[in-house]
Amino acid sequence: MTLRIFAPLALAMLVASTPAFAKGDAEAGKAKAAPCQACHAQDGNAGIDPQYPRLAGQYADYLARALHEYKDGGRKNPIMAGFAGTLSDQDIEDLAAYFSTLEGGKLTDLHGHVGGD
Amino acid sequence: MTRALLLATALSIALPAAAAEKGDAAAGKLKVYTCAGCHGITGWKNPYPNYHVPKIGGQNYDYLVAALTAYKKGERSHPTMRAQGESLSEEDIRDIATYLSGLAQ
Repeated sequence: MTLRIFAPLALAMLVASTPAFAKGDAEAGKAKAAPCQACHAQDGNAGIDPQYPRLAGQYADYLARALHEYKDGGRKNPIMAGFAGTLSDQDIEDLAAYFSTLEGGKLTDLHGHVGGD
Repeated sequence: MTRALLLATALSIALPAAAAEKGDAAAGKLKVYTCAGCHGITGWKNPYPNYHVPKIGGQNYDYLVAALTAYKKGERSHPTMRAQGESLSEEDIRDIATYLSGLAQ
């Protein structure tokens, strides 16, 4: 009985703690970022056109997840599918590392920004 | 030059239309109560697969509307966000996007 509960938990912990790819390299990401910056802007804040999301300072693992979803069809967006489809797993990690570490980001979580707080 | 002219024409048509569709920020502030359950906790992670829930305060208005609409229509796969999107009207989405985009630091 204990094993029935423990085994799936142990498996889940193992999966969760195993990184899928090598850690992203922000410097390598910078060298690959030019196509992204055409729409998301040099500073990653997408001040050019509000249809594009701001990337600067966003969590790296979320950015990587989003790129994988555009690539594998979990998100359906023709523009991003085209770009993400050309990226390797390592490219995705590097780009996510680069944009997440850009200074001057305008993004925040909702802590303290909710009605009734 | 022709391309620049086309772009300018396209922008002059598209931008006023997008701006006119903005929602009510005060209403949005009340409607983000549910969002804050996950997006309001610094460093909060999605459990399986394990990654940070994105920062959405200060995100661009048009993108937020597009993202929430995509969840609503099932064009993005995240189950929790699809359920949230389905519960939102188009007006809710505009109100939420107006409030969130106004939080840009």
